[in-house]
This record gives sequence, C-alpha cells and structure tokens, in this order.
Amino acid sequence: MGKCQCDWIDPWSIGLVALKAIEFKVAEKRKVIWPSNLKVLAYLKRMHLPNILQEIGYQNQPTSPFLSANEDESPNLQELFHSLFRDNFQARLSSKIKVMFQTFGLNEEDQSVATALVGELGNNVFDHNEGAWPTDVRGAIVVGQHNPLHRQIEIVVADPGIGFLGSMQVAKPGLKSDIEAIEYGLSGVTGRVGESRGNGLRIVQGWAIDRFQGAVRIHSGEGLVVVDADGRRPRRVPRVTGTLASVMVKYQQETP
Amino acid sequence: MKVLMSKFNNVLNGRPSAREDFLRIKQIVNGVGKTEIIELDFEGVEVLSPSYADELLTSLKNVYGSEKISIHNTSSGVSETFKALDIKL
Repeated sequence: MGKCQCDWIDPWSIGLVALKAIEFKVAEKRKVIWPSNLKVLAYLKRMHLPNILQEIGYQNQPTSPFLSANEDESPNLQELFHSLFRDNFQARLSSKIKVMFQTFGLNEEDQSVATALVGELGNNVFDHNEGAWPTDVRGAIVVGQHNPLHRQIEIVVADPGIGFLGSMQVAKPGLKSDIEAIEYGLSGVTGRVGESRGNGLRIVQGWAIDRFQGAVRIHSGEGLVVVDADGRRPRRVPRVTGTLASVMVKYQQETP
Repeated sequence: MKVLMSKFNNVLNGRPSAREDFLRIKQIVNGVGKTEIIELDFEGVEVLSPSYADELLTSLKNVYGSEKISIHNTSSGVSETFKALDIKL
C-alpha cells in the first residue's frame, strides 16, 4: 500500500483498499502504511478495517497507529461487514443490513427497498463467483456510510471475484472489454449460461435513480461505469481484481 | 390454501433461497394446488428481493399456472418489489 496522507476516506475507497490488499497479499514485500490523520484512523477503526485486513492475510502488519485513535463512536453513521459465504450474507441482510438502514433513519418502506437493493448486489457476488474465486479470499465486503448533512447513504459491495467480464464472457463471448461487460450487465442481462433471468441490476438502477434520486457506480477490472439521472458514463480506470458496486441513496425525511 | 411467507423468513432474498422455499411450498401445498388457489400471504415479511420474488413466482406459475397463485398482505416495501417486476397484486 502506498503512503497515505489522506484526511478523508469514503466507503468506495475502503472497498478499493480491501480489494487492492487482497490483490497484493501474496507480494513478498507487502506492507500496510496507515494514514497519520487521527480522525481517519478513528474512522477506520470504527469500520474495523484493520480486523478485515488481518482476516484476509495481513496478520503481521502494524496496528500501533490505532492505539492512539479512539474508535469513532457513531454506529448510526457507518458499518462494514465481510460475508464469506452466501449464508453469512443472507443472515447479515436480516440481522444487520436492514437494521443499519433503520439506524440510519430511513422509514419502513425505504428500509425494505434499500435492503432488497443491497440483497441484489450481494446475491450477484455469490451467483457469479462461486467456484471461481481468483485468490484464496472470497466473499462480499459491504461498506455503508450515512451522511446526514446531505441526507444520503452510500452502500458499497466489493468482491475479489472474476469480475463482470470474467462471468459474462462465458455466456456472451462477444464481450471484449470490462466496460462492455458492465454496460451489458446494467442493461438487465446478468443471467449465467442457460439462464433467462437477470433483471437484478436493471431494478437496482431503477430504484437508486428514480426512487432515491441517487446513482449506481460499478468498477470491475479496468472499467468504471457511473449511472445517474444524467445517463450512463463509462471510463477506463486502473485495474482492480473483482468488482466494486456502489449505490447512493438520497432520502427526504428528517432522521430521528 | 394459504401459505404464510413469514414462516420462511421476514427477509426473503436470493434465488437459491427461493428455489428451496418453492420445493417446500410444493410439499406444503401437496396435491391441493391443482384445485385450490395458493394464497401467498406476505404478512410480516419486511424485505422481498426481486430475484427471490421472480424465482418463486416463476416456479410456482410453471407448476400450478398463474391463475392459481394469489398474493396478499404485502407491506408497501414488498409491494415495490412486485411493482418493479411488473407483477400485478
């Protein structure tokens, strides 16, 4: 990991750090250099990022910077879970993720829809990667961040899997790039070989944009596609192992 | 015949769960599905993901026919999922 002087980190970056850490875990000279900013350390401690990194193979990395950082006590603002298996994810969807939206202050109906939305993103992780994880780290890393000031919630689901292209090229060999594969998936076609299903991402976009006035952002391999009310914007970016999918949810009502 | 969906879970998510629950519903309904309407009662279900709903309803309709399946007591959040799938309640 590179030297970090950052004084701000968002859920997307946490997901990206987790995926890069998985990618580099076999490197001989791997080393985690934590940010020096105490507020960022407190945030990362609250998000349990050091624990997640230990769990994925960084057992002997320094955690001393965190000794001076008090864990940020704001459970109504952020959460991070790593679900190794579909059953873990399913259990957390019931016991943690819905509760997270409740704690973030969404009403019953929005909690229900937002939880279903995260459910769809998590289902895709396991539907498309079981039996094919490129490294020995598997599962879905879910990061949630509430920003009450802007009345928005960002949920990121990161997975160290085969990515959009790796999964969809099997059913549609004509796909040539990560961007093409993401756009194909976003058009509502995510069924595997022989499956006619695949409305999940189309519905995720519809809910995120029309219902929550938000956006969907997907980074897979070296493709990044952002979709919001202004349309779809694809761009080539540095490669990541697996996929990062983010949904931004905006809400109207006051939080308690 | 009424099937209480909350007996499966109050958060219904994913195709694999729906496939299992479909097999269980077939067993609960047994032969009755050929003559009676199967009433899926969503009272107490808090979350329904589109993939679960699609998988379960498609499987049930393939076996019993769409005229034999009815949906009841959906919360506003659960109704949103059916709406997104263009399923009339």
